Amino acid sequence: MKGLFILFFIFISIVPVVADVPVRQEQLIYSIMAFNGKDYSGTFCGENSDTIYLIADQDNFITARKTLVYYWPITGDWKTDTSALNYPFEGTLELTEKGRESRIINPERYTFYNIKGEYELNWEVATGDEAEKAWQHYQGLIEQYWQATSQYQQAKTTFDMMMNELAKKITEMRNSGIDVTELVEKLKALKSPEAPQPPDDYIVPPSPVQSAFILNLPRGEYNIRFIDGDDAVLEGSEKRVVVFEKRRADGIGFEVIPGDKWTRPVESKSPSSVLYVDGTTNLYLRPFFQDEFNDLFYQKMVKNDARGNPSLMNWVRIQQVPGARIELTGNNHTSEVLLEEPFYVEQTKGSALGYKIVPFDPEGVHKDRDPSLIAFRVPVNRERSLIKIKLLDKNGLNLASSSRQVRVIIKSRWQPLLFLLCLLPLLAMAVVRIIRSRKYSL
Amino acid sequence: MNFRLRAASVIAKRRIFESCLSPGFYIAQAVGLLLSYFLISGFVSSIDSSGFNYMLHPLYELIGRSLAGAFGATFLEKLFAEGPFQFVFYVSFVPVFLYLSFSTVFHFGLEKKVGAIELLAYGPVDGTSYFLAFYIKDVALTVLYQLLLVLFLSAAALLNNLFLGPAFLYVLVVIFFMALMLYTLSILASVLTDGGASAMALYIGIILLFLIVMMGSFTIASGYVRSFSSVLSWVINWVSPFFYWGLALSSVEAGNTLNYFLILLVMAALSGLFLFLSHLVIKIKGVRP
Amino acid sequence: MIRTRGLVKKYGNFTAVDNLDLNIPSGEIYGFLGPNGAGKTSTILMILGIIRPTAGEVFLFEEKYTPDRLDMRNKIGVVPEKHPQGVWSWMTAFEYLQMFADLFDLKRVYKDTQARIDYLLQQVDLHSVRNKRIAEFSRGMLQKLSIIRALLHDPDILFLDEPISGLDPIGIKQIRDLILAENREGRTIFISSHLLSEMEKLCHRVAIIYKGKLLAEDNMSSLLAKLIKDREILIDLESLPPDLADSLKELPFVLDTTTRDNTLVIKVSKKGDFRKDLSSYLIKKNLVPLRIEEKALSLEEAFVTITNENIDMFTEIGGRE
Repeated sequence: MKGLFILFFIFISIVPVVADVPVRQEQLIYSIMAFNGKDYSGTFCGENSDTIYLIADQDNFITARKTLVYYWPITGDWKTDTSALNYPFEGTLELTEKGRESRIINPERYTFYNIKGEYELNWEVATGDEAEKAWQHYQGLIEQYWQATSQYQQAKTTFDMMMNELAKKITEMRNSGIDVTELVEKLKALKSPEAPQPPDDYIVPPSPVQSAFILNLPRGEYNIRFIDGDDAVLEGSEKRVVVFEKRRADGIGFEVIPGDKWTRPVESKSPSSVLYVDGTTNLYLRPFFQDEFNDLFYQKMVKNDARGNPSLMNWVRIQQVPGARIELTGNNHTSEVLLEEPFYVEQTKGSALGYKIVPFDPEGVHKDRDPSLIAFRVPVNRERSLIKIKLLDKNGLNLASSSRQVRVIIKSRWQPLLFLLCLLPLLAMAVVRIIRSRKYSL
Repeated sequence: MNFRLRAASVIAKRRIFESCLSPGFYIAQAVGLLLSYFLISGFVSSIDSSGFNYMLHPLYELIGRSLAGAFGATFLEKLFAEGPFQFVFYVSFVPVFLYLSFSTVFHFGLEKKVGAIELLAYGPVDGTSYFLAFYIKDVALTVLYQLLLVLFLSAAALLNNLFLGPAFLYVLVVIFFMALMLYTLSILASVLTDGGASAMALYIGIILLFLIVMMGSFTIASGYVRSFSSVLSWVINWVSPFFYWGLALSSVEAGNTLNYFLILLVMAALSGLFLFLSHLVIKIKGVRP
Repeated sequence: MIRTRGLVKKYGNFTAVDNLDLNIPSGEIYGFLGPNGAGKTSTILMILGIIRPTAGEVFLFEEKYTPDRLDMRNKIGVVPEKHPQGVWSWMTAFEYLQMFADLFDLKRVYKDTQARIDYLLQQVDLHSVRNKRIAEFSRGMLQKLSIIRALLHDPDILFLDEPISGLDPIGIKQIRDLILAENREGRTIFISSHLLSEMEKLCHRVAIIYKGKLLAEDNMSSLLAKLIKDREILIDLESLPPDLADSLKELPFVLDTTTRDNTLVIKVSKKGDFRKDLSSYLIKKNLVPLRIEEKALSLEEAFVTITNENIDMFTEIGGRE
């Protein structure tokens, strides 16, 4: 009997675990590598969704495959299990635009990469042979780097051996009273081999060459379906494709880092918006360029099962603004110009928790370290209740839609008076009734 | 026409006076102002070192979660971009708007039923001047309340160092024009039906229909609501005050002020159209109960 | 002053008013009678311009009158049967009248509208309650208020619908005197009522409408003469022999006899004066009449209300169907 109870409890503890394993469904999906305005991100469109969203006039890559799809409740989204099943379909894509003839798109081999430049956004897409070349070029650079690294290792080993030998010899000779000046000179003259630098041509190196349908379409609505090798339409492959473009570009947003919560920044994206703060800490601002997209379309482009508002536009952060300056104007209308500076986050010493943000000192205490953040420091305190901010570019020109206000909230002691003002209509009602009732009695 | 306008203004003055004697109007205003007060206080308490965080105050946590759930995080961010006053204005406008429009529907139905309009129609008054009086009353008292609200919110802004900016002014004006449209719809509902109760049901039904259509295109709830409303929305949006409200604010956001004022003109024109339709209906139906 | 020509009103297939021609000259008090559903209300509403006729025309002051003619409404005053319940109840009597004064733009005619209002309030003994709310007015007070409201702008034509309903005898007399006084001023008065006794006292002419058609239209005395078929003669005697009532029935002009205490009530045919004959008969029976009095049956006694049941009588009189 006792054994039965034990078995029962084991069983009921297992059942919830077993019941919580997500159900995997075999589905035909489109894997999507879409350009989101700043880089490429991957998502998929499964059988539960009938629409794919892409940004106009950009190279986007899609493939059709069979895989397992499941819902992951912890993060609340749908995922694929390509490790268990990943069957890519071979065929062509039929693309139809309303009122026009359909056309066939063949899969192409491609790669994409981001080249280093002043701005972050230097994406390149190579297709066909060019893709192979780009990939091979990068592979060549890596190969060179590894070879150089290998040579360096060898040279370093040799150098270390020589150093040790010389040092040993010098010690022995000194102990024997022999003049070691020449040997010491020789030791000093030895140069350590330089470590090779990894290739820095790319911000994002080329991805391995893959095959996909490249969709670079103007704004509009399209329909696609997959045609297999037997010229038959793959069942369940019909999807709508919504191609959208940005409404506005080159807006300015700010990443706002409060001094007391530097790991939890917020973003100020709405132009002319107001940043209300309690005035207890300074703010560190990092301006960025932003583009405006339809909220729903953009969210679903990044993640096909996301939610968004179809009637709203959303600013999307694209890249940092290089070489900018901030013009601050305070209560007394005096202005000052701030430059972007590096800062370091120092942990509070001792048993107390906390940190403070200090200017980065590369030659002093922060030598051989990297700065924690590079930003504009805006001093905020309760005496400075209003600060107006404008961003200037490297030529000193005001950047449009960059103005912001920082306001320190005042918790006024006259607040109860405001409550009494709410009751003013009731007082008016009483007065009116009294005057009126006097009239009736005349 | 002179007779009509004259009669409308004479009756409208009495209607305004009657509202000023009615406790309902003052209670609605007090409720509106109290809602403003609590929302502003809640906003002030939701500010920390990094800005507005709705999780810091229970009232705003409820509001924030509800709005984000229905309309998305972007909507919430835009709504509070300049501060609390856009949201506060929407909320605190509702009690007075509902009081004025419901009382119009109720009183029109009642007065028609007991023969008051007929009595006036024996004189230099017709059905059109009678309902115009209601409209003038609603508009005048709305302006009065909006002024009171602006004064109150300005005081709150001054006390708490909050910003009463251009976005608030745009909202103030477009809400006024939206109210104009809704008041004309209340009159249309009143003249189309024969009693206060049926007029109220029709009016509430019209507002709900417009709201459902708007929600279908403005919320993040996809699927059923959108597919249901997509068929209706194309037709209904042409006459929906909420549609033009959204369009006007989108224009402002896109920096297209000319478009904003054009939309206000369209709203005014539609209000005139609804009044004209009411004139035709009451001319055909007559003023007798 | 008021003229209708071929007035017709149809509600679907139902004809409420059928080819009605009325002609009411200026300065007349005109009564409009008919049972419920006869078409009275529809006729009045068409004359007042509240509803459009299906056919026919209405002329007021020799001008064609339609519902659009708001400019002519200041020459008409209307007292409906009932004051609208619950409306304007927050107003005082003075404010209520002031509203109508403003509607009719009384300042154009009376420099001091307040004096005009006070004068009319005094006419109906309502001046002492001018600052009382209408909500507190009795039915009779509301009726009086309604009448002076209709007179406020000094209209040329006054339409009254059941003007004395709800009034006490003093109130009835006040209103009757007021109507007569207004008529003496030259006002044309159109009265619709069921109370024939009042019509009798007020109207110069009366029209009877039935099933949408004009049945009879004549001055009061002629109409009464046609309507009243018999009279009553009351005779008081010292003593009343038991067989006297039956023996009187043998007389050719006696229709019926009854007794009330010591009073003999004899119904006689309305043709001729039979008091002398009765007196001779009684003397022959050695009876001494203490009093012989003729009581003419009034229109009201003959017909308390004009109902569909007794309409045949009017059909006979009018000779129209």
